[in-house]
Amino acid sequence: MAMISKPAVARMLALALCGSVALGCNRPKIGHPAGEIQVDIESSPTSTDPRFATDAISSRINELVFESLVKIGPDGQFVNDLAQSYERPDPKTLIFHLRHGVRFSDGRKLTARDIKFTYDSILDPDSMSPKRAGMKELASISAPDDYTIVMTTRHPYAPALEMAMQGIVPAGAPLPAAAMSAGPVGSGPFRMLSYKRDESVELARNPFHPAPPEAPGAILFKVVPDPTVRALELAEGQCDLSENNIEASVLPWLADHPELRVSNTPGTTYKYLMFNFRDPSLRDLRVRRAIAYAIDRQAIVTSVLHGTARVATGMLSPENWAYYGEVTDYGYDPAAACRLLDQAGYPARHDGMRNLRFEYKTTPEGARLAEVLQAMLKRVGITLNVRILEWATFYGDIQRGSFQLASLQWVGIDDPNFYYMTFDSSMTPPGMNRGYYSNPKMDALVRTGERTLDLAARRQIYQQVQMLAASDLPYVSLWWVDTVAVMNRSLSGFAPYPNGSLRSLADLTIARPGAIEEAARR
Amino acid sequence: MIWYVLRRLATLVPVALGVVTLTFALIHLVPGDPVVAMLGDTASPADIAGMRHRLGLDRPILVQYVDFLGGLAHGDLGESISYHQPVSRLIAERFPATLELAGAGLLVAMVIAFPLGFIAGAKPGSAGDVGSMGFAIVGISIPHIYLGPLLMIWFSLDLGLLPLTGRGGIPHLVLPAVTLGTALAAVLARMLRQSIIQVRDSDYMRTAVSKGLSPTLALFRHGLRNALTPVVTLLGLELGGLLTGALITEIIFSWPGLGRMLISAISARDYPLVEGAVLTFALTYVFVNMATDVVYALVDPRVSLR
Repeated sequence: MAMISKPAVARMLALALCGSVALGCNRPKIGHPAGEIQVDIESSPTSTDPRFATDAISSRINELVFESLVKIGPDGQFVNDLAQSYERPDPKTLIFHLRHGVRFSDGRKLTARDIKFTYDSILDPDSMSPKRAGMKELASISAPDDYTIVMTTRHPYAPALEMAMQGIVPAGAPLPAAAMSAGPVGSGPFRMLSYKRDESVELARNPFHPAPPEAPGAILFKVVPDPTVRALELAEGQCDLSENNIEASVLPWLADHPELRVSNTPGTTYKYLMFNFRDPSLRDLRVRRAIAYAIDRQAIVTSVLHGTARVATGMLSPENWAYYGEVTDYGYDPAAACRLLDQAGYPARHDGMRNLRFEYKTTPEGARLAEVLQAMLKRVGITLNVRILEWATFYGDIQRGSFQLASLQWVGIDDPNFYYMTFDSSMTPPGMNRGYYSNPKMDALVRTGERTLDLAARRQIYQQVQMLAASDLPYVSLWWVDTVAVMNRSLSGFAPYPNGSLRSLADLTIARPGAIEEAARR
Repeated sequence: MIWYVLRRLATLVPVALGVVTLTFALIHLVPGDPVVAMLGDTASPADIAGMRHRLGLDRPILVQYVDFLGGLAHGDLGESISYHQPVSRLIAERFPATLELAGAGLLVAMVIAFPLGFIAGAKPGSAGDVGSMGFAIVGISIPHIYLGPLLMIWFSLDLGLLPLTGRGGIPHLVLPAVTLGTALAAVLARMLRQSIIQVRDSDYMRTAVSKGLSPTLALFRHGLRNALTPVVTLLGLELGGLLTGALITEIIFSWPGLGRMLISAISARDYPLVEGAVLTFALTYVFVNMATDVVYALVDPRVSLR
């Protein structure tokens, strides 16, 4: 993967890129068939079957091919998809009434039987679907008629609608899908024409799904692992759109290109610094707070990220309905950091350093941030030993809780129940509470939040959760990453989602005369 | 020569055994779990255990190793964990692209190196020599990761002559091949220059010139073949570098080769695919070295293969 993406090389290339502008870039290009757009992606989707796909790229593409009962809209709220409406007659039951006339891309009618089959095949232990664990609260699913689905949960379960975001495949779709071929058909705006792992995924319009006039007839998702090459493909006109995978340092150069438009939208991807509470010094709240005060997050956002992020107050971004921002603020204050470290029993030596040495694990892509954090912590006397690991090794260590300090990001946080997954003391590794944070008060709050269905009451609960998280500091909230899309000016109507979804590819239009007709002839 | 080739082929067995044993040990030693990579964060311990059992990863490591060797003896490299396809089929699909790239890189290297080395060696100290060796220094110094995008900027972005990425005919092959072949061209050119300088001072060259041949023609007709012997040796040795260089080049140019697949397989801890791909690269290296020895004998009649 992007193992070769070295920041220094990227900087050198940025200079070379700027130098090449003068020579002109409007030469004839090797183009695509009219009506087809190319979207560059950084890694290959791992599965074309929505019952098995868990990685972000697979999910983004599958959202265009498969529909679900409900989906997340551009404003982060649930909206109906296959469901025309839904009701919650009691705390453990959800009843969905389906739209009529929906067809899979092969012409078959989509009915409740297909939905029940999809869920049953995930819940079948033999399927080994990675989605099964996320549906452990689902007690049963039934289809009383062709247009009604009844879901019951084991307990009153507030985030139950998240389980209704599963992409639907036709009844009888075999398990497991062969990874080298196009997956099962769906009822979404596109159908999958081909899937070449590590190369490309080609989608064409689903003839049974309405499309806006002048919409692209086909989308080629091309796997381009190198970030510099993705920028070059945009500049050359080979690629029409790239989202969240262009290096910030190259964005100004692309923005100057007359044929390109850079769109910057507030995003929900949350970047954080994680502490391991099994480390005695990091268990001390004063040390964690000192580290938070020592990091100049605004300076990093401005200079390293070129303004493509917002300093975060917590896991939930302001776009989330449960967001609460009036929490303990850790503005850059090295003097406060030094005071806290003195109080914690780590006085500065004559050279300014303290008896505090931590190991910070990261990947090659995170090396630059590691250098910045190392320099900032050194200012308050903390030594940070940076260990750069290959991704699988790094991730293996994180999942086992084998680290002192590490920074990662959470993508696609929709329901605040995510706090339960990450901060409840029962969720330590192999669960997602990898820092072994434990506070009975937090446990009580997140467990109540999971069982409370009333929205106003939930909002109150998560307000307390966010205040407690900012005060206890299991994570230092770094920033929310913006959704940055670079696209050809001939495209219009693309509305970036805060969570990075590419759903609006279905609604954009291209200003090329005759494009749709030519695509249809193909 | 036939006996020599057969004997060298027989040595492939211990080489292959060594490679698979080492690869098997290393990939199992490094941290990371293919099942966790596959099932993700939310998988329950029971699901993880179930998948480990299904893939046979819960068996003792020695049993897994013996099973793998048993399959290998029957030509079965197993099934890829992440691609759900037989490893041999995946290699058959991807390796031709890597060979195509490496072959083209080799060709580019020779096309650049031979004239440059000859010009530099024929008249040491001349402008041609300085220019050729200047190229060699730049070629050796510039890494693929920098040269590739620079060529893209010049030839695709600015001049619009060649496609940026992907595989599909000669136009797509040019930039990756030049990226891959430039460093090798630089090494070969320097070696050929040195070799030609040594040859041009030999007695038989003086004899040829004294009989009326021009120095350049004498060098071309009589000296070049002798000067090529160390270059051919180097070519074989450098092939390993060409194959490993292809891994990076494949990523830069989105080239669908085995190297790129190997890197994905390492990230996913896809044990069978890593073992199969590494074995393929290793055997290719051995084959090419064997071929080099044969060519060595053809180029220099004084060398006999025993």
